[in-house]
Amino acid sequence: MSEGMINGKIVTIPEVATIEEIKDEIREVKTFYLNFDKKEIKDNLKIKSGQFIMCTIFGAGEFAVSLPPSPENDRFHITVRSVGKVTRALHALKPGDKVGIRGPFGNGFPFAELKGKNIVYVAGGIGLIPLRSSIMHVLQHKEDFGDVYVLLGARTPDDHMYKENLKEWQGGVPGFKCFLSVDVETPGWKGEVGFVHTLLDKANIPIENTVAFVCGPPVMFNTVIGELMKRGLSDENIYSTLERHMKCGIGKCQHCMVGRTLVCTDGPVYTFRQIKTLGEQI
Amino acid sequence: MFLIKKSDVLKIAEELGKEYQLYGPFVEKTSGQTFFDKVGSASEINLGAPIPSAPPKQSVFPQMERILSYKYDSAKKSVEVKPDFTVTPKALFGLRSCDLNGLLCLDRFFLGQEFVDEVYRNHRRGMFIVTNSCTTPFKQCLCVCMDSGPFAKEGYDLNLTDLGDEYLVEAGSDKGKMLAEKMGLKAAADAHMKQKSEKLDKAITLFEPVAVDNKAWISRVINRVTTGFAKEEVWEYVGDQCFECGACTFVCPSCSCFNVVDVNDTACAGCTDRLRSWDSCAYEGYARMAGGHNPRKPVEDRRNKRFFCKLSYSQSKKYLRPGCVGCGRCQWVCPGDIGIPNVVTYVRREITKQG
Ligand SMILES: Cc1cc2nc3c(=O)[nH]c(=O)nc-3n(C[C@H](O)[C@H](O)[C@H](O)COP(=O)(O)OP(=O)(O)OC[C@H]3O[C@@H](n4cnc5c(N)ncnc54)[C@H](O)[C@@H]3O)c2cc1C
Ligand code: SF4
Ligand code: SF4
Ligand code: SF4
Ligand code: FES
Repeated sequence: MSEGMINGKIVTIPEVATIEEIKDEIREVKTFYLNFDKKEIKDNLKIKSGQFIMCTIFGAGEFAVSLPPSPENDRFHITVRSVGKVTRALHALKPGDKVGIRGPFGNGFPFAELKGKNIVYVAGGIGLIPLRSSIMHVLQHKEDFGDVYVLLGARTPDDHMYKENLKEWQGGVPGFKCFLSVDVETPGWKGEVGFVHTLLDKANIPIENTVAFVCGPPVMFNTVIGELMKRGLSDENIYSTLERHMKCGIGKCQHCMVGRTLVCTDGPVYTFRQIKTLGEQI
Repeated sequence: MFLIKKSDVLKIAEELGKEYQLYGPFVEKTSGQTFFDKVGSASEINLGAPIPSAPPKQSVFPQMERILSYKYDSAKKSVEVKPDFTVTPKALFGLRSCDLNGLLCLDRFFLGQEFVDEVYRNHRRGMFIVTNSCTTPFKQCLCVCMDSGPFAKEGYDLNLTDLGDEYLVEAGSDKGKMLAEKMGLKAAADAHMKQKSEKLDKAITLFEPVAVDNKAWISRVINRVTTGFAKEEVWEYVGDQCFECGACTFVCPSCSCFNVVDVNDTACAGCTDRLRSWDSCAYEGYARMAGGHNPRKPVEDRRNKRFFCKLSYSQSKKYLRPGCVGCGRCQWVCPGDIGIPNVVTYVRREITKQG
C-alpha cells in the first residue's frame, strides 16, 4: 500500500490522478472525471456517501471537495465551482492533466439507520453536489428505503446541476420523485417558480418515518429547516453536511472547528440537533 | 536515582550532544532574554536562566516548515511527489515541567485520535528529554493550578533537581537510565529523595501565592466552561479586549493550529513546496471560507474560541487535562490583558455574582 495510507485513506501524501474527461455543468461549475495513476489505489479506495477529499492542483494549492459518485459502480469524479485561486487553476486544466488526491475523509451518511425510511433531499444550487452520492446509492438500493424525494432549487433553469441525472430521476422510478424550481420567472420555464421550500408543499412530502437531507447556502438552509420543522419533522431527522475552511482533513490544523467538533473528522454530516448544540453560526 | 556534581551537570548535555541535535535554555547577550533553542555546544546552556519567552514548541512543531515538495512538468504531464519527513533526533536539556506538559499536550493531540500527524511524529521520534525541577516561581507562574509543575512527574528520560552542591538525577526511562550508567554517575540514596520532596513542598508554598487563582477556582471555572455555563457576557467582554494579535497562541506551549500553503520555487520551474506554519484562532481569516463567508466573523465569536479550546473542548474533554499548562506566557504578552489567569478571574467573578 502507499506510504502515506492509514486505514485505507490517503493521509498526508497526495496520490496522483489523471483527468480523463471534463464536463460543463452550469455556469462556473464543471465535473472532472479522475483516474488514479496507481491501480492499487483505484482498487482499494472505498468511499462513503457524504465524504470528501482534499484535491491538490499542482502549483496552486489544495482544497476540500465533496465526493458525488455513488459508493458502488460509478466513475470517480468531483464537481467544482470556480470561486478562487485553486478552483480557478483546476478549471484551467485539460484532460490528461494531473491532480493530487488525499482522502476520503469524514463520517458519511448513516445509511444503516435509515432502512425503511422515506428520504427527502432538499438542495439549493450546488448543494446538490454532496447529496448526489447518497441519492445514487438510494436509487440503487430502492428496496431498502421508503419513498424518496429530490427537491432542487436554483436561480434559473440553467443553474440546475446534473441535468442528465435529473432527467433520469424525473423519469418515473416507482417511489422516487424529483421536483425542480427556479427563483424567478424565466421564459421557457413551465415548472415551479419560487424558493426551494415551496416545493415541500408541491411534493406533499411525508413527515412520518421520514428523514431529510438539506444542503445549500446558509439562507436557504435556515429557511428549509424552519419549514421542515413547522411541518413536524424533528431536528434529529434532519441532516446536513457542513462546509468549512479546511487544510489538513485529518483533525490536526483545527481550521474546521465548529463548536467542540472538527468538521473533517466528526463531520461533515451532522443532524440539525447536533448543529443546534454546536453554538456557532452556520 | 543518581547524583552529579553541580559543576558537572552540563556534562550530561555534552554527552547528549554527541548523538543528538542539542536544545537548551540560554540567555542572549544583546537582549538579555532567555531562549530555548538549538545550541552549538553544551557550554552555552544556562540552567539557571529565567523562563524562556517562547516555549520549546518549535523543536517539534516549527513556526514554518516544509512538509512536502513536488515537481510538475505540465508538458510531459508527469509529477513527482516527495514527502519531506527526515529529521535528526533531538535532545531537549533543561526543560521546565510546564513546557514538558505542553509537549505532552501536543503529543496527545498530534499522535492521538484517528490519524497520526506524520510530520510531528518525525520530529518527536527518538527525542531525549531532560527536565529541570523549578524551585523559584516567576511573576505569572500558575503551573500548580494546572497540575503541571513545578516538578515533572512523567514524560522525561532524566529529571534534574538542584540539591545545593549536587543535582539529583532521576531516570524516567530505560534510555535515561542507560545514559546515567554509561556516564558512571554516582548512585543516590533515599536521603536524597527526601531532600527532593522537601524542596518540592517548599517550592509549592512559594508558587501558590504567585498563582493568580488557586486550584479550587481553576477547576470550578473549567467545569463552568466545559458544561457551557459561562455566560455570553464574559466572552463578549473577552472579545472586546482582544487586539487579534495572535501573540497568546504563538507563545503557548500547547497551541497547535496551523495553516498550509503551496509556494512555487522561483528558481526551479514546476517545483513547489508545501509549507505549514503556525496559525491563530484569533485571526479574522482563520475560519473564512471561499466566497468570503465567515461563520466566525464577530470578534467575540472567535476570541472565546481560545478559552473554550484551552479550558474545555480540545484537551479537557478529550484528554482529561486542561489545554493550559500554566506557564503564564499569554498573560505576559497580551496587550488586552486577557491571558488565561485573567479570563479565569472574569469567569470566577461571574460565578460569584450568580452566588
Ligand atoms: C467538506 C467540503 C466539501 C466541499 N465540496 C465542494 C464541492 O463539491 N464543490 C465545490 O465547488 N466546492 C466545494 N467545497 C468548497 C471548496 O472547498 C472551496 O470553494 C475551495 O476551497 C475554494 O478554494 P479556492 O482556492 O478556489 O479559493 P480561494 O482563492 O482560496 O478562496 C477564496 C476565499 O476563501 C478563503 N479561503 C482560503 N483558503 C480556503 C480553503 N481552504 N477553504 C475555503 N476557503 C478558503 C480565502 O480567504 C479567500 O478569501 C467544499 C468544501 C468543504 C469544506
Ligand atoms: S484553536 Fe486557538 S487556542 Fe486552540 S490551539 Fe488553535 S490557536 Fe490555540
Ligand atoms: S494558555 Fe497561557 S498560561 Fe496556559 S499554557 Fe498557554 S500560554 Fe501558558
Ligand atoms: S495576546 Fe491578547 S490581544 Fe493578542 S490575540 Fe491573544 S488575547 Fe488577543
Ligand atoms: S481540516 Fe484540519 S482539522 Fe479539520
